[in-house]
Amino acid sequence: MRCFVTAVIIVLNFIIQSTFLHNIEIINITPNTAIIVIISFAFMRGEYEGAAIGFAVGIIQDIFFGRCIGMHALLGMLTGYFCGKFYADFFTENFLVPLLMTFVGTFLYEFAFYVFNLLILGYTDFIYFLQTVILPETAYTALLSVFLYKIFYIINEKLKKRENMKRKFF
Amino acid sequence: MNFLKNHKKFVIPLVAVLCLCMISFSLNRAEPTFFESGIGYVLSPVQEFNTSITNWVSSKFNALTNINEIENENEKLKEEVFSLQTEVNRLKIVEDENKKLSELLKIDQKYSDYPKIGARIIAKDTSNWYDVFLIDKGSNDGIEKNMVVIASGGLVGKIVEAGFNYSKVVSIIDDTDSVGAKSLRTDDLGFVRGDFENQGMCKMEYVDSDAEIMQGDEIVTSHLSEIYPPGITIGYVKDIQNDDNTITKCAIITPTVDFKHLETVLVITQNFKKDLK
Repeated sequence: MRCFVTAVIIVLNFIIQSTFLHNIEIINITPNTAIIVIISFAFMRGEYEGAAIGFAVGIIQDIFFGRCIGMHALLGMLTGYFCGKFYADFFTENFLVPLLMTFVGTFLYEFAFYVFNLLILGYTDFIYFLQTVILPETAYTALLSVFLYKIFYIINEKLKKRENMKRKFF
Repeated sequence: MNFLKNHKKFVIPLVAVLCLCMISFSLNRAEPTFFESGIGYVLSPVQEFNTSITNWVSSKFNALTNINEIENENEKLKEEVFSLQTEVNRLKIVEDENKKLSELLKIDQKYSDYPKIGARIIAKDTSNWYDVFLIDKGSNDGIEKNMVVIASGGLVGKIVEAGFNYSKVVSIIDDTDSVGAKSLRTDDLGFVRGDFENQGMCKMEYVDSDAEIMQGDEIVTSHLSEIYPPGITIGYVKDIQNDDNTITKCAIITPTVDFKHLETVLVITQNFKKDLK
């Protein structure tokens, strides 16, 4: 059940992100909801599940829009893994920590993407990219994560309840 | 599963190495793998549905909010249609004349009509870095890799991957490949590629430093291009910059196609790269 729900969330997020989300862009920047999915689940479920979800989210992006297969998958997996490290340290009811984590996570994700995709091609004007892509996207994504994390939190609680019920029956 | 649980620590580095291998192997692949094509086959109709609904809602929403503007625009367009109609009639006469004269001179028509197929954009890249998008026609409709994509304004890009019912298009404002180009007025040659440091713009590189290229010049694809047919408008020169080496200079080009509001495109279903071989 959990696997199924997570897969549906990942696919649904990808479809929404690639179609509808371009209509709510601000200064040509769309929020990166894929990172919110990765970080939320990593924060609620721990490093290994986070890494798995990050990999799945990344590979679907790679298949559709990637220049090569594996770039987003690798970055997504690492994001999920490192954010999942905080799983044991905080209560999942805490809504501020995911916000901060999304902020830092998105920034590092986009920074890594810049380094591996543009810097190696010789685009050295980091400040320009910081201003036009990385910072706006980070801010927008972090803002949106406040709402999305709540939704994912509720879904996770429901799943937890279901799993506990099953344990009682059998 | 137990094996994975016992060797948890090795899983992450192992998958990371696997990713790196996949990256290096998939950099220049000719066709999408069966796995990719399958996922595309299932997901692209959903994306198509979603996009058409979104477009419909936003167009209705826009119509409601700018009804006044639309009325004014309608007036203007009517006037324009009238003037264009007269222009068309005049051009028809010229075309007839041209035909007769070129028959006399036995010149093949240079810009013959290429077979085209219309397609709708169904999804756009999720990241903010690139401008890759999917269209709703694939190998099913005769689309192949390296076919050229145009829109009403001019050149859009090329097909990089053709799935069964979807294709992946990379636009010219993306960096990776360059297009052989020339200035229509002066015939100066150069290569146009996307300019990441001026978002939404292109850069024409390797223009001879003596070239008399100017602001406002129209840039079209040249006959030297490997996959693009000659004579397709790319854009207009916005600015000219001198390179450090003083042998060449480069021009910043505003594309004629409005990439932000692109909804439909045309694909030229003639593979020029194939013809060359």
